[in-house]
Amino acid sequence: MTTLDSGERRRTSDTRPVITDLIDEVTVESIAQEAWISLVGEDEVLVPLPGGPVADPVSSWVDVVGPWTGSVVLTTGRRTAEELTRALLREHSPEVLEDEDVADAFGEIANVVGGNVKAALPGSSGLSLPDVGEAPALRNPDDLCRVELQWRGEPLSISVQGALPPLPAVS
Amino acid sequence: MKILIADDSRVMRQIVIRTLRQAGFDDHDIVEAEDGADAYAKVGAEKPDLVLSDWNMPNMTGIECLQALRSAGSTVPFGFVTSEGSPEMREKAANAGALFLIAKPFNEDTFQEALSGVIA
Repeated sequence: MTTLDSGERRRTSDTRPVITDLIDEVTVESIAQEAWISLVGEDEVLVPLPGGPVADPVSSWVDVVGPWTGSVVLTTGRRTAEELTRALLREHSPEVLEDEDVADAFGEIANVVGGNVKAALPGSSGLSLPDVGEAPALRNPDDLCRVELQWRGEPLSISVQGALPPLPAVS
Repeated sequence: MKILIADDSRVMRQIVIRTLRQAGFDDHDIVEAEDGADAYAKVGAEKPDLVLSDWNMPNMTGIECLQALRSAGSTVPFGFVTSEGSPEMREKAANAGALFLIAKPFNEDTFQEALSGVIA
């Protein structure tokens, strides 16, 4: 007999939670909106609509290590990451942006979003310093809470994704 | 009054400075440090009246910096500005002798609330 894997069995039979047991898309979006207003600007909003494929993607992320272990990953186009950097730097924005500026600004947004995601999770966890580059691989499609947004009409996604592969199926 | 701002992100140091100004604390000398070790050294060299420090930094974290300062006998007023504002972190900060913890994201109201009793 084939048993459908609803996830219920995992939740009740072991102690390793998946992220969808712990946080939902509404909470992640709300954390991101607050970060945007504070860091990017009072009138800056994230529109909760998928923005389509990202051209020349760049990601920034922080790792959370604790009862749940994974990464909080922001992904957008490189041009959009540069625009975000200019928004954060405001009058200090240089004529020519260095990669280091974009890594600093886009990484700091991941740090603020990730720190607040961490605070919303149960138990005690550690938070890494931010990293910027190609997003960490998705290890378990069931251990993923993802929101797709638009900022100034450009796509931006936030993935709260587990770092561990799925547990073996219980038969 | 001299305020030391410690954060490994240059962008965040600028945002903290901007928010201080927006909160009305605009007539102070600002010194910047890029991690906890730099902050520790600059507390000795610059003698700030207040330290505003990130928590998570390379070389020396903010809490390690605060603990090192207190162990060395420094009583400089010290507050955190960090993305980690959980009750657990607030308790750790208070136990180490921090006056306040401002959680990121913040705005000028958050700064006013935390700093009005600290900055003259």
